[in-house]
Amino acid sequence: MPLPLRYNVRNVLVRRWTSVFTAGGIALVVAVTMLLAALVGGLKHMLVATGEPENLIVLRKGSTNDGSSFLPREAAQVVRQLAGVARAPDGEPLASAEIVNQPFLRTREGRRENVLVRGVEPVALLVHRSVHLVAGRMFRPNLGEVVIGTGIAARYADARLGSRLEFGRRTWTVVGIFDSGGTAFDSEIWADVTDVQDDTRRPGYSGIRLTVAPGADRDALVRRIEADGRFTLEAKPERAYYREQADSANALYVLVLTLAAVMATGATFGAVNTMYAAVAGRTPEIGTLRAIGFGRTAILLGFLTESLLLAAGGLAAGLVLAALAMLAVNTLLSGIAFSMMTFSVATVLLRPTAAGTLLAAGFALVIGVLGGLAPAWRAAHLRVVDALHRA
Amino acid sequence: MIDVRDVSRVYRRGVDQVHALEHVTLHIPAGRFVALMGPSGSGKSTLLNLLAGLDRPDTGEVVVAGQALAGLDEDGLAAWRARHVGLVFQFYNLLPVLTAVENVELPLLLTGLGRSERRRRAEIALAAVGLAERADHRPQQLSGGEQQRVAIARAIVTDPDLLVADEPTGDLDARSAVEILTLLRELNRAFEKTVVMVTHDPRAERFVDQVMRLDKGVLVDGGSA
Amino acid sequence: MTYPRLILRNLWRHPLRTVLTTLSIALSIFLVCAVLTLPGALEAVFAHWSSDVRITVHHKAGLTYWLPYAFLAKMRNLPHVAAVNHYSWFGGVYDEPKNMFPNFAVDPETVAQMWPDYGIDPAALERFRKIRNAALVGEQTMAKFGWRIGQEITLKGTVFPVDLTLRIVGVIPAASGNPVVLWFNYRYLSEAMEPRFGTALAGPTGVVGMIWLRADSPAHVGEIMRTVDALFRNSEAEVAAETEKSFIQSFTSTFEGLIRVVLAVGFLVVLAVVLIAANTSAMGVRERLPEIAVLKSLGFRRRPILAVLLAESTLQGLVGGVLGSAAAWVILGALNRAGRTAGGAFLGPLGSFHMSAGVAAEGVAVALVVGVVAGAVPAWNGARLNVVDALRRLF
Repeated sequence: MPLPLRYNVRNVLVRRWTSVFTAGGIALVVAVTMLLAALVGGLKHMLVATGEPENLIVLRKGSTNDGSSFLPREAAQVVRQLAGVARAPDGEPLASAEIVNQPFLRTREGRRENVLVRGVEPVALLVHRSVHLVAGRMFRPNLGEVVIGTGIAARYADARLGSRLEFGRRTWTVVGIFDSGGTAFDSEIWADVTDVQDDTRRPGYSGIRLTVAPGADRDALVRRIEADGRFTLEAKPERAYYREQADSANALYVLVLTLAAVMATGATFGAVNTMYAAVAGRTPEIGTLRAIGFGRTAILLGFLTESLLLAAGGLAAGLVLAALAMLAVNTLLSGIAFSMMTFSVATVLLRPTAAGTLLAAGFALVIGVLGGLAPAWRAAHLRVVDALHRA
Repeated sequence: MIDVRDVSRVYRRGVDQVHALEHVTLHIPAGRFVALMGPSGSGKSTLLNLLAGLDRPDTGEVVVAGQALAGLDEDGLAAWRARHVGLVFQFYNLLPVLTAVENVELPLLLTGLGRSERRRRAEIALAAVGLAERADHRPQQLSGGEQQRVAIARAIVTDPDLLVADEPTGDLDARSAVEILTLLRELNRAFEKTVVMVTHDPRAERFVDQVMRLDKGVLVDGGSA
Repeated sequence: MTYPRLILRNLWRHPLRTVLTTLSIALSIFLVCAVLTLPGALEAVFAHWSSDVRITVHHKAGLTYWLPYAFLAKMRNLPHVAAVNHYSWFGGVYDEPKNMFPNFAVDPETVAQMWPDYGIDPAALERFRKIRNAALVGEQTMAKFGWRIGQEITLKGTVFPVDLTLRIVGVIPAASGNPVVLWFNYRYLSEAMEPRFGTALAGPTGVVGMIWLRADSPAHVGEIMRTVDALFRNSEAEVAAETEKSFIQSFTSTFEGLIRVVLAVGFLVVLAVVLIAANTSAMGVRERLPEIAVLKSLGFRRRPILAVLLAESTLQGLVGGVLGSAAAWVILGALNRAGRTAGGAFLGPLGSFHMSAGVAAEGVAVALVVGVVAGAVPAWNGARLNVVDALRRLF
């Protein structure tokens, strides 16, 4: 016959402060785990989601990102016309030759940061299908007009529709704002490719993004691009390119796990202390229960249940805490500013992940079980006579 | 030695007011062994607390060995207690983390004495209660009677004017109880210590000079020597 | 029998409880030390890059904008300028793309004057000047790839459409604070690029990345910077001059977000352990209320009792702090050493924690604060115990 759940719940509630503190420690472990996992989740999402499944990125062979790559003009002209490149209804090849630059821009607080400016042609909007204008319009060529990502609008004071931005050698006008669904482009400024070439005095491109024609042989197209002896090019699917960038976030996952595991161990010790004290304080009571007829297993399960109740309370509190913290960071701080491989700053929004939630819940469970096990064992194996004698 | 004049004490328990003591007046000369007896709730322990300077009366005054306790503040009472009163309780007397002799040494920490002097006096006190060979035992290793004897040793180690005991035999078996009462008697005789003992134990009457009885906060029998 | 002995005995009343709590504190302090090394590591970088006579001059628009090569000659003639050099980022890749490390083209002639504090072997500097495709490599990069002096390596260009074969002639010591970088001769790059661009980079119509200036004394730094800014104000390339320290610090704003997160985590870790330790303290005091009542009845006043109770939790914190800091020192140090070896690259960020004595002291200090804060309320409640009420309840 097991101990009634009500008894266990009442015991946990009666020892109010001890229960609150122990559950609080567990809650913090849960919250930290979730928040860190959300940071990594946000980072990965931003990097991985940026890749379109049907797109290829063409860079100079050996470059790791389009911030440090260079292709001559002729290369773009050739690649555009290759068989296998998709075409728009009007026949225009869906190949976007782009030049990437990192000029200084001054933040709200007056600090100077590198920002990523991508010189593109209008076809870029067709190639980067995740990018949508949400305000204003696309820029017209040669007029120094730019469109900015929502991340830029959030981070820099002067970045509003109609405002003038100073970077590079000239002033530019913001004519539109675009959203790309939380991908890396949200932290970019897009300008006319010729304007950027003039501004940086660079007569070429950083890379080409193109869409593979439906039904075309992607690998054959890649080979065709790389085989051209006039240039040293490398082509790979966008997804693969961004996944490589995201791999650096994997190291962060290891860190997160280590951190959370160490914290969880500390919280387990706290739970053990609490449960041992609970057993010691209720020894006469346990004796009475045993004398009445509750068996060893019932006592063991009873204390284990109390420990798990504490863990459950901690889990719930921790989830709420994490949710509030994520909300605060994402709305008040507009996310976390990160320095990317392209030496520019991007803001990362926290995104709760299933893995993170499972990990946090797992920690809570383990703490509850491990914290309660040994004390519950002791409680169950008290000699009834001894226990009653101490009453 | 002890003068209690028209003392009353009321305290709150929840929403009720309990009149623990009502206009109690008594006098205890020096060197006397007095038992305070009476039914449960009669105010014996409250009176004992007043004599020991643990509590203050609401009306009236308490004078012990010439010191009017009303004239002392909290810190003053604490200091006075440390110097002039030895206390023995029914249980929880001893700190379980200390050995017998270390427990006896405890009150001496409040004096200015050096370490070796403290140890010396504690050993003397322990020998006086016949437990010299148990000096390094922890309370858990001592019987109930032995623990109380250590408590008594601690109570006398500062050579106080007054020894106060609250139900010292309450938790003991018959033989140990008699041992304790005998010990208190001997200390009273040999060192002329005034001893005031609250007790339920009917055996105590044989050992004391005077029995005072309380009932519902009133002194009903001042007793005679 | 003394107060310290009483404190120690009380802590050992429930050995398992004390050990577990101390371990909790130790674990948390270990994490705190790891967290605190991050800003400290950045501080250490600044400490090295804090020459008070070196000035950087870059294009006002950004680091990706080139300055005219002709500016170098103009700068050499400015008063109080002791030496001029330049940095042009080549961005070459060795072997595999993920083996990225910073490599720059510089002017070998004035390396010795510009960076005397780097402690580069003079014989190596001599070879660097004499040999056209010579390279000086930072100690850490040498170790990472297992290169030797005299070895030839090839860097594949990314922003420059040329591959360069370089001969390593010397090492930049790690003590310089710049242990990763590779330097080679700008003229070598210029020659390689000439056929492509039709003009020499290192020539009157050429360009250069960033310019370094060395002032003849710290007192003249401000004056030089103002002169340089004014000199090129309305030219084809407006410049911004800053001290070396300011230049490096401008990069940290990008790390601020990460540091804020890390510090927040550290704070939460400390909070968690305070809760755990406070719980333990409260349990201990609660169990000892009868004893405290007896002590008070004996005449012990509030303050000594408060002191004893507080000392217990503080001592626990101290021991936990020392254990945690020591563990962090040993483990992070080992990770750091492993990270510097050739095979240690896989450790990634785990291999770059460098813990200083200052961080260890901070860790212990945090532990002390934890001990005090955790024990404060229970100790106060214990000391404040009303003797009469307690006695009445107990007996």
